[in-house]
Amino acid sequence: MKTVKKVDARRKLEGKAKFLDDYSYDGMIYGQFFCSNSHHGIIKKIIFPQEYDLSQFIIVSAKDIPGKNIVPEPECDQPFIAEKEVFHFGQIILGVAHPCKETLKDFIKNIKIEYKELPALADTKETLKDEMNSFGRKIIIDYSKNVKPKREWIHTHSVYYTPHQEQAYLEPQGMIAIHNQEQKTMFVKGTMQCPFFVKDAVEAIMGDKIKEAIIETSEGIGGAFGGKEDFPNIIAGIASLLSYKSKKPVKIVLDRSDDMKITTKRHPSRVEIDTYTDSKTHKIKKINIDYRLDAGAYQTLSPVVLSRGVLHSGGGYACEDVYIKGQLYKSNTPSNGAFRGFGAPQAFFAIESHIDKIAASLNLDPYEFRRMNIFRIGDEFPSTQKITENHLFDCFEKVIEKSDYHRKIKEFAKFNKSNDDKKGIGIAIAYHGGGYTGNGEKVLNSEVKIVIEKNGVVKVFVSNADMGQGAHTTLAQLVNETLSYPFEKTIVQIPNTSKTPNSGPTVASRTIYIVGNLLRKLALKIKKELQFENLEEFISNNQEYFPKEFRMHFVQDPSVIFNEETYQGIAYKDYSWVACVAEIYYHSVTYTIEPKRIWAVFDIGNVVNVKIAEGQAEGGIMQGVGYGLTEFFYKKGYGRMQGLTDYALPTSLDIPEINVEFIHTNSDFPKGLGEIPMHTPAPAIRNAFYNATGIFIDEIPLVPERIIKYELLKKK
Amino acid sequence: MKVNFNLNNKKVSIDVDPMKRLLDILREDFGLLGTKEGCGEGECGACTVLMDGKPVTSCLVNACHLEGKTILTVEAIAKEPIGKLLIDCFDETNAVQCGFCFPGFLVSSYYFLISDGEQNLDKIKEALSGNICRCTGYQKIFESVMLACKKKQLYSHRFSLIHPVR
Ligand code: FES
Ligand code: FES
Repeated sequence: MKTVKKVDARRKLEGKAKFLDDYSYDGMIYGQFFCSNSHHGIIKKIIFPQEYDLSQFIIVSAKDIPGKNIVPEPECDQPFIAEKEVFHFGQIILGVAHPCKETLKDFIKNIKIEYKELPALADTKETLKDEMNSFGRKIIIDYSKNVKPKREWIHTHSVYYTPHQEQAYLEPQGMIAIHNQEQKTMFVKGTMQCPFFVKDAVEAIMGDKIKEAIIETSEGIGGAFGGKEDFPNIIAGIASLLSYKSKKPVKIVLDRSDDMKITTKRHPSRVEIDTYTDSKTHKIKKINIDYRLDAGAYQTLSPVVLSRGVLHSGGGYACEDVYIKGQLYKSNTPSNGAFRGFGAPQAFFAIESHIDKIAASLNLDPYEFRRMNIFRIGDEFPSTQKITENHLFDCFEKVIEKSDYHRKIKEFAKFNKSNDDKKGIGIAIAYHGGGYTGNGEKVLNSEVKIVIEKNGVVKVFVSNADMGQGAHTTLAQLVNETLSYPFEKTIVQIPNTSKTPNSGPTVASRTIYIVGNLLRKLALKIKKELQFENLEEFISNNQEYFPKEFRMHFVQDPSVIFNEETYQGIAYKDYSWVACVAEIYYHSVTYTIEPKRIWAVFDIGNVVNVKIAEGQAEGGIMQGVGYGLTEFFYKKGYGRMQGLTDYALPTSLDIPEINVEFIHTNSDFPKGLGEIPMHTPAPAIRNAFYNATGIFIDEIPLVPERIIKYELLKKK
Repeated sequence: MKVNFNLNNKKVSIDVDPMKRLLDILREDFGLLGTKEGCGEGECGACTVLMDGKPVTSCLVNACHLEGKTILTVEAIAKEPIGKLLIDCFDETNAVQCGFCFPGFLVSSYYFLISDGEQNLDKIKEALSGNICRCTGYQKIFESVMLACKKKQLYSHRFSLIHPVR
């Protein structure tokens, strides 16, 4: 298929596209949150500043909630607004609104609060160390054969840590809520990934005060990456409450420091891996994994993150004896949530680092060792799902060739012998299951709609948002190319829960894979039903027939059976694959790693729009580079980082040259792409650093402070 | 306080709080919504405008610094020939993702094109280092600006008429 230009690009470039903060409504006032600055405590007293006229402010607390004070999530355990006790720093205690933004800010800044402080856990490593802190369901994948390790098997054991990561979508979170008293509706406009989640949330918090919540996304959504999957529920809920109480439209846009303090992040992880490897055949004989995530104070959607993490934690390697255990841990920090990869980047950092460690103990090149163990047709995932294609292996061989790996390994070794600065090259491979796990897509039961108008416009209705990933261009392409219809006349509509059917959330690398393929099927059905040669002519010759609406539901392939108790079966119908090589330059004087080049070869099936796909891959790789090298929250859960000044996002000067290639593109359909680019850069860089220096660091990011520590250890 | 300045080639004068940020003045007093707030602390560059011909982050400029200044925002730059050329190049490579950062990138790359414009990757990286993009991984942004530099040189006769930016 061909690359068409993105439908939204020009309006965005000219500054004309409207993002949430660019909308305003008559009589609109502004809302903000007052949040806890304690990790854990019972609220004793809230004192409002004297110098303000309180009657000018609209203030809502948990008591003002007419419906339920529980955010609807996979695990319904988090309140919209704290009641008597706060369980983490940054927990929302009040919603406050006022016509003037500045006054509102000053007022909130001056609210005083007293707590009875209670014991709290804010340090991730401490939280994850102690099994006492675990909560929620334990997931076990038992693919073990209880074989006793033989004498010639080499035991390798390590514990890997990854930190919080901030999504840092460039447009902060925001919502506008407008209560309509007569119609008993709540209209909410916002920057979000999942309008139907927000609908459920607003209807939950408003209870019988409204008949319906109508949710619409803003024209532009300034990045999301998972960060706008579930937190928008809370903002929308409280904005609705404020609008209901004030009888005015209320706009809440978080400023950057609030956004960083209170919204969800990537889960910090602790992954402990034990392996036994046959020193003669170089085959991995036994793998044991203990995968732990710090969920924060509430479970919310973390059980789903855990599930995906566990299912990806074995890596792309065949082994006949695997035992994986996964569990969530509770700390007094804000709940963590979705972020591109959803538990998998943590898993791949651990397993890909571990593979290099085994290779080193066998004195093998990491390429050779991977080659011995990588998935081939007929192998099985620990969930017993069969590998039916060698595409991971193909990606792997291709990236080795593209990066000139073998030559560089030799050349760098020579360079490193005679220089204080070092050069290194490292590999990582990964996969990502498309769509919801197991039976999830069946339960979601996504529906899409196409309306062909009299004037020849083909309108596409889905609830999936375009938050920069180009979904509305790519989805339009899937329809227009199937109908052989002009692209310009095929228009994906802005998601609005009263107009678009529920085609599910914009998450889980499912938009093109599930919704796009469904739209294509619907377009094929239209073609069959209307029996046209040329749709444009057909429409003008059969005007009486239009406008005409077509709908279709997703039907799960019956062969996809997954047991959610035993974690056995087909977890994902289709996997995307990636292999990645990173090349670094290590500056020994400053202890800094400069990423030089990254190559990544993907199999994402059929590529609908090459430039958009490349852009997705490059962006995900950049976030992976940040994850591996610079991004983390310094303070122990407390206060977190205060803004973009102290949270180091990669800039144009920090980013390596990125080379992306897609293979096996002649497949029948596109698979998921959104998340997989995130999985490999961090471990590949970490492995490259080992190649350069002979130092294994089992924790990211690889900041100079950490490198110094390990260098000193090595010298001892 | 009253301030007079030149905004997008027009003389304007407003009565504002001296501490009001230029970013808010543009968005609230003049309805110029193309300039975005990503951080409010001078880090992200989404609010970049040209002040007396040089890029500044408008979230760090206050009304009291504005007297007599010349401000050019994305709305005006998008209409200039070099601005249009850049927009075409960004569009060509499908560089834009969420687009929130792009008004800022347009301003910074516009400044690079008029002040230097050499088709040199290192220089471009340097020129854009004040703008953060969380979506793209920058590769296609570099590609677009390189392309714009090349086209500007190729068609320099067409751009020679442009009046210098004040
Ligand atoms: S908003 Fe001004 S630099 Fe980010
Ligand atoms: S395109 Fe989203 S921040 Fe640049």
